[in-house]
This record gives sequence, C-alpha cells and structure tokens, in this order.
Amino acid sequence: MVKIAQISCGTEYSGVQKEIERAAATFGAEIVIPETDLDYIDEAYQKFGFTAASSGIRLMVARAMSIVEGKSEADAVFIATCFRCAEGALLRNELRRFIQQNTHLPVVTYSFTERTKADELFIRMEALSTIVARKSLLAREKQEGLTLGIDSGSTTTKVVLMENNKIIGTGWLPTTDVIENANVGIKSAMENTEYRLEDVDGIGVTGYGRLTIGKYLKADLIQEELSVNSKGAVYLADHQKGEATVLDIGGMDNKVITVNDGIPDNFTMGGICAGASGRFLEITARRLGVDISELGPLALKGNYKNALLNSYCIVFGIQDLVTSLAAGGSKEDVAAAACFSVAEQVYEQQLQEIDVREPLIQVGGTSLINGLVDAVSTVLGGINVIVPEHSQYIGAVGGALIVSGLGSRE
Amino acid sequence: MKIAIFPPNSLILADLVERRGHEALVLQKEIRKKVTDAEIDSPPLNITEEEPIKGLKYAAIEVPSGVRGRMAIFGPLIEEAEAAIIMEDAPFGFGCIGCARTNELCMFNLRKRNIPVLELTYPTTREETMDVVNKINTFLDSLEDKNG
Amino acid sequence: MSPQKNPKTTRMIILGPSANISQTELVRKLHMMELPLTIKSTCYGAVIHGEEEVVKQAIEHIREVDPCNIFTKDRGFPPGDPRRCRAKRGGAREGFHQLEKEFELLDFVSKALENPQRVEIKKTKKVSPDLFKEIAQECEK
Repeated sequence: MVKIAQISCGTEYSGVQKEIERAAATFGAEIVIPETDLDYIDEAYQKFGFTAASSGIRLMVARAMSIVEGKSEADAVFIATCFRCAEGALLRNELRRFIQQNTHLPVVTYSFTERTKADELFIRMEALSTIVARKSLLAREKQEGLTLGIDSGSTTTKVVLMENNKIIGTGWLPTTDVIENANVGIKSAMENTEYRLEDVDGIGVTGYGRLTIGKYLKADLIQEELSVNSKGAVYLADHQKGEATVLDIGGMDNKVITVNDGIPDNFTMGGICAGASGRFLEITARRLGVDISELGPLALKGNYKNALLNSYCIVFGIQDLVTSLAAGGSKEDVAAAACFSVAEQVYEQQLQEIDVREPLIQVGGTSLINGLVDAVSTVLGGINVIVPEHSQYIGAVGGALIVSGLGSRE
Repeated sequence: MKIAIFPPNSLILADLVERRGHEALVLQKEIRKKVTDAEIDSPPLNITEEEPIKGLKYAAIEVPSGVRGRMAIFGPLIEEAEAAIIMEDAPFGFGCIGCARTNELCMFNLRKRNIPVLELTYPTTREETMDVVNKINTFLDSLEDKNG
Repeated sequence: MSPQKNPKTTRMIILGPSANISQTELVRKLHMMELPLTIKSTCYGAVIHGEEEVVKQAIEHIREVDPCNIFTKDRGFPPGDPRRCRAKRGGAREGFHQLEKEFELLDFVSKALENPQRVEIKKTKKVSPDLFKEIAQECEK
C-alpha cells in the first residue's frame, strides 16, 4: 500500500480529515502521520529557521523534517493548510520545496475550506499514487519508437502519433461520442503516415474518457490527466527540469498545475464562469466580425486601457464591449480589453490559489491567441510565458511520451 | 465557579482549579461530546463541515475554516465562564490550540467578557513556576471570597 | 443509540517526578477501590474511564495518597480509541506533546503546593515615556 505522509494544520477542525483519508483509500493509499517527539519538534523547528506563531505549523515543520531526515517512512507527501491562512500558505510552499529539494518523494499540496471539493482531493491522491507507482516511467524525457497518445477530454478529443521523439500526426475534434471520436482522431493522426494502428508500440490514454477508451483499445497506459499533462507540457516546452506552472484556459474551464522536474505538485481548476474562459473570446471575435485566429494579433495592436470594461461577466462584459465600439473605440483596443479581462478573471479565480512559478507554460486552444498570452504575462507582472508548439495537444503528447517507456506491445 | 483556562487543555491549570473546588472548563469535555456521539462518523474528531459554519458566530467567513472550526468548540466554553485564567506564551499547544490566530481570538473574547481574569505568562524556571502556582491559588481563593 | 444517562468520562492520572508512590502502586490502589472503572497503566501514570461520578470519587481518593504530587487531567478520547491511537496512525496524539511539556514543570508545581504562599496579584504597568526618557538619559551618562 502506498503510504502518504500527511503534513497539515487545520484539517481536523475544518472537518476535512475524513475526506482526505477517504480519497487516499480510494486510490489504494493510506495516510500516515510522521513520527516526532517533543525534543525533535524543537530541534527541527530551530534547524528549519522559519518563525511561526502557530504551533500547529511548527509541528508541520517537524513532520517534514522527520521525512527529510528519514525518521519516518513514506512514499509520498500531502501538505495541506487552511485556505486564507497566510502563515499556512507560506509554510506549505516552503515545506514543499524543502521536501522536493531533499528527497525524491512526490509532493502534492492543497489549501482547503470546510467546503473542500472531493474532486480536487481525489485527483491529488490519484496523482500521488500514480506518481509513486510509475516513478520510472514519469522520469522519461524522450519518446522512443512509435506510440499513440489520446487525450479524451470533456470538450475535445486530442490524438497524437509520435515516432522517435517527433510528432508525426495529430487529430483534434469535439467530444460527442468518446469511442467514435477517438477512432476518428486516430484516423486523422495516421492519415499522412504509412502506419496503421497495429503498427504502434504503445497506446497511452488520459482525460475524462480514458477508462472507456483504454478498455476499448486495450491501451498500455491509462493515466489521470494531472501527471500526464504536466509531463506533456514540460516536454513540449523543453523545460523538463526545475519549476514551472502549466496554465490551460479552456473553452469552459481552467486548469493550473504547478510542477517540479515535470512532476505535478499542486493543481487548481474552476469552471463556472464563462467570463474567465475561451468562450468569452469566441463571442468577442464574433462581435468584432473577425475569426478567432485573428483576435490575438488584433489585441496585440490595441491597448486594453482604452476600452472601458466594467464587468467581466460574459453577458454584461460583452455589452460593455459593444458600448465601447459604439463610442468609437477601435477593434484593436476592444480585442485587447477582452483578452485582458479573461486574464484578470483567471487571476482572480485560479491563479490566486496557487504559487505561480516561472516559467508559465500556457497550453490548450486559447494559448494560440497571442493577445491572451500577452495579457496573462501582464497580469502576472511580466512573467515569462512559454507557448510551445502543439500546445493544444499536451495530454496526448504526455500519453505518447510516457507509454513509450513501456516497450513494444505484443 | 466555572473557570475558563487558557490553554484550555492545560494539565497544570485544570488541576489547580479543581484542587480549589472550582470547575475547570476544559476543552477535553467538548471534544468528548464530539467523539462519543455515535451519530456522526467523521474521524478523528467528528468535526464536520457544520463546525466551521457554527464558528461564523465568532469569526467572519473570510477567516480560515480551521479557526472557525476551533471556535465552534471553544466558543461555548468562553460563554460559560465565570472567571478565567490566561497563561500566555504557553509552548507547544498542538491540535486544538495549534492555531495562533484562534488562540488570540479566544483570549480576547475571554477578556472582553468582564469577568475576573488572571493574566499569567508560562513559567520556565522554578521561581516563576512557584510564583504562578501561588498566584493561581490566591486568585482562586479570592473568587471564593467574593462568592461567599 | 440513545443518549447515555450517566455519561462516561476519561481521566489521566499523572504522577509528578517526586511522587511517593510508583506507577504500579498507583494502579493497584485504583483497583483496590473496587469501583466500576476501566483502569489502564500508562507511561505517565494511569488512565481511568467510567461514569463521571465514579471517576470523580476515584480522583478524590487517589489525590489523598500524595496530594502534592498526583495530578489529573481530562481526556476527550476514551482509552485506546483507534482514531487517536499512536500504534495505528503513527505520530503521537497532539495533546501528548503538551502533557510532555507541562510534565517538565510538575516538580516545581509540587514544591509550590507543599509551601503555599499568599501573593499579591499586581498588574504590571508600562513605564511612562517620560520615565523611559529619564532612564535612557541616565544610562547614556
């Protein structure tokens, strides 16, 4: 059984401890508490050197130290503190770094409220279990042989065919029927090659539909999207070592993953506000009478400050844009304002919950809108944003890359 | 009298209060109510989403859930108190009293209740400890005098 | 389960470092009271569990054995509760560390109890800025 060491403050008093243990058990893991005695707590706290007012947080330091010094056994680490606790947030990140720098254990962090979302806990625990079980596979930095990666997302299905570290074919279509769409995607990826499905050495699947497709295609690798997407993003961005943030502003929801050496350690997602999504930009493009592909370059020529946007809501925000246009505002300025508005909303709703690390690797369909990429960088104080080629295929690329470590299929 | 103590799980404070014939409002009694309630099964403390919501009585929604959850347990003790002994700088209060912000709020709430309060600092030496013990006993006896 | 008429409580009985009785004696004395209690020997002394009134009675009696060196503390969890058992989850109960720390002072507490003194409770006042200035100037000299 995978042992996940819990280093936390406040989980019991927020009523989320049971949820954490339940999520771990669901993925074949168990929660353990690192052993510390009183003298050791004192010693560890002094050694670490962070003066914390809360003794619960000092205990976290000692528990982390106990793992780093090998006094407690664990396969993975889960670090959690209350959302909006400044001291907790500081230590959560410092301890995460401390463990990552001094051990090879995967770490996942979380800031919770009493309304902790089961999904977010589940995906973290699943990722931790997967990372432990597939450690050597995840260490892979080069794709070998001929492999197929499929990312069956809730809105789109992405397929890539890779051969000897190169993408040789792609498929992309909206998800309507999981299996049917995968078949069409595979066909499209194979189209301009001499290969057939029987020729591939391995198939790796990820995304919401991974279990269905995995079973149907007898896939060699079926893996949750958190670790696969991280791997795909850092591979495409050629940033496999060190820290990075992966941002996917989706058509309907957004995901942010922080990674260390290609392994995810925190994650946040949201998807209830269209004003913080690609949908807002689609509608803006339509109102401006341009194709979505032209919106980005248009925005780059404009200045967002010239178009007044009082609301980020998809209904009222668009109205503001129309008013702005009617008042003689230029299309460029309006396009820039729309991009800026989405970036700001993503910041408000997701990026604030996570420790954003440079470089930021922007992926997904919206990363092709360069005006939005520029706005994201501006909102984050000029952070270095990388948009790798094939950025909309990270999940599929991650699948194809990881599965190539399994060798040829029979 | 019912005496609130802080830290609310202090062995020394609770023991001394009881020796003088008073009732120490200890945290463990509140925890016991929770953990022996057969209706709820949310180990280890049987604290559920409800407690941080009950804690809204003491701290706003913007305050971390851990503070509000703890306040849901401390709050009733503070309200019940007829006198209080507060020992600041007590080391290593983990778990229930592991959150500095909750502790600040608890001590403040005790002080603003206008009940007799004895303020102490956690002793570190023999002299300080003896002084603290004597102060506590003097304070407790004075309460009795007022009562009688 | 219906609410219990006689709620049960758990008490830890802690022997101070200068106690006149040993842990074994403590447990034996508790057993000899023949009260309907669960008694467990622990590293710090003993833990007893039973109906509130009975526990109270046992505490009163046991204190008499060595009034200044026997201390007691309430415990929320019943003895050996798996939710908090160190053997199962690893890591000590949070309350244990607190007990460990306060134990360091118990000998001094015993001494104070043996030699009670009535003291004056004075609130310390802050030095006025003027006085502070005066002292600072004096120190400069």
